[in-house]
Amino acid sequence: MTSPLLETRDLTLAYGAFHAVDGVGLCIQPGTIHSVIGPNGAGKTSLFHCLTGERRISGGQILFDGRDITRRPAHGRVALGMARSFQITSLFQNLSVRENLRLAAQGTAGWRALDFWRRLDSHRRHAATADEMLERLALTARAELPAGTLSHGQQRILEVGMAICARPRLLLLDEPTSGMGVDDIPTMTRLIAELGRDHTVLLIEHNMSIVMSISDTITVMNRGQILVEGTPQAVREDARVRTAYLGEAA
Amino acid sequence: MNPKLTTPARGDSRPANAIFRRRPAATTLAMLAVVIALPLVVPSATLACEILIFAMAVLGCNLLLGYTGLLSFGQAIFFGSGAYVAALAMIHWQVGLFTALLLAAAAGGLLALLVGALAIRRTGIYFVMLTLALTQMAYFIAYTLSDWTGGDNGLLDVPRPPVAIGGFTLFDLESPLAFYGLVAVLFVFLYLGARRVIDSAFGSTLLAIRENEARAAAVGYDTRHFKILAFALSGAVTGLAGALYAMLLNFAPLSNIELPMSEQILIMTIIGGTGSLFGSLLGAGTIVILGDLLSALWPRWMLLLGVALIAVVMFMRGGLWGGLESLGRRRAGAARKTQEDA
Repeated sequence: MTSPLLETRDLTLAYGAFHAVDGVGLCIQPGTIHSVIGPNGAGKTSLFHCLTGERRISGGQILFDGRDITRRPAHGRVALGMARSFQITSLFQNLSVRENLRLAAQGTAGWRALDFWRRLDSHRRHAATADEMLERLALTARAELPAGTLSHGQQRILEVGMAICARPRLLLLDEPTSGMGVDDIPTMTRLIAELGRDHTVLLIEHNMSIVMSISDTITVMNRGQILVEGTPQAVREDARVRTAYLGEAA
Repeated sequence: MNPKLTTPARGDSRPANAIFRRRPAATTLAMLAVVIALPLVVPSATLACEILIFAMAVLGCNLLLGYTGLLSFGQAIFFGSGAYVAALAMIHWQVGLFTALLLAAAAGGLLALLVGALAIRRTGIYFVMLTLALTQMAYFIAYTLSDWTGGDNGLLDVPRPPVAIGGFTLFDLESPLAFYGLVAVLFVFLYLGARRVIDSAFGSTLLAIRENEARAAAVGYDTRHFKILAFALSGAVTGLAGALYAMLLNFAPLSNIELPMSEQILIMTIIGGTGSLFGSLLGAGTIVILGDLLSALWPRWMLLLGVALIAVVMFMRGGLWGGLESLGRRRAGAARKTQEDA
């Protein structure tokens, strides 16, 4: 087995006495689509926030490519090759679609983005990345519109596209289909499946049909802990998973 | 897709800033025209100098407020210290014009770096309060160091050295019009410089931070670095403006470093139009000219200024520049309509 791209050891996030994430050990293998699912309140999004650096964890360790990133701030993780999308769409609403993507590509430039003298033309690489991404997301026709005027589905796709612009080694997607209409979901599913070919993807998702159809590995969380981990087939047949999901209803 | 259907929608939904960025060449020409015409139009060359000096300070303030979304009450610190540093260097070290101006810009930039580094540790209202507190501190420091700053009396006999290279005098700046020439050249350079900064990778990132700071951090920017650099650039420009103001008055009053100075620069920025470089000129020009005209008529003219500010904030969100723009847009729309009807 190859060494994992992202590994957490005994990861814990506590809010007072409540443990939102409780001793999670996650291993994400390079080149796979790894999904994290679980009933509401299972700690999926909390786990996600720990991985992106949005929340300072209460205990444990996070390793990216064998390197301890536990104390690294969010922007520092992007520089290492981790990029994320947001569950609640977070765009530069008044800037054009192209500019949103270009800024996302430029985000990996580090100190060079502080260049306040040379014109943008001297950083043409980022504009080229943005144009490529516009094609890939089928948004070229809307390139000059403010991002805020796109339909919700298109905003969700732009949201994911911005994460890819950083050319990350690990793509963290937080419920990319949240609030999307039924018509747009297949587009997103196709996009994520396509991304899985070039990137390692960690997907937090509610929509079972997407998770089951494109994941290589699925981790099921419940009450802040890992309940089951395995292939879609194995997870589907696991009795504990059924109880965790149906238990709520029963 | 039918282009006719998309064009009007685009015109309406496009943010004001995108329009400013679309015609930078035209606005630069307009700026040059204003700078050349100004001493001929306003009552005195001294008043013209004052307008351009404040327009510089507003350029600096605009970088923070208009492009980064930082409401800084610290501008007086940079303006006042620029004035003091240039004046003291000229009085005690007999430095020349350009050395004095460079020292003032360096002092303004350095202080802004420190103020920025401290204030941006908090956001929103707490950030604003920190800049307020720091300005109050700077004021009391200047007040206390009266041996250097003259305290309440201000620093008197600030020279206005000639433009000289290696001890050889090129231009004498004693006449207000000659001094206006210097101020105008500097203003044009600063304006073009600000244009470049805004069009750079750095400038585009500032807009991103203003739009959505969390997202900017998520795509990899250390937003603190960008804000601190924006502060330093803003402070340098403002310090330079302060030095020129001291040379203009031959005097560096304590009010340069007082909170009302920050307010005045902010009001000019908002009235002119945040996020527009040309608006800087409009804002400074309007306030300085109004002040000059109204103060002759009525000592309580500041009250009217308050009314003007309320009007702009309530009815002209983009300031005077935004107002001009929407007027232009409406006329263009009307023209298009007549064309279509015909």
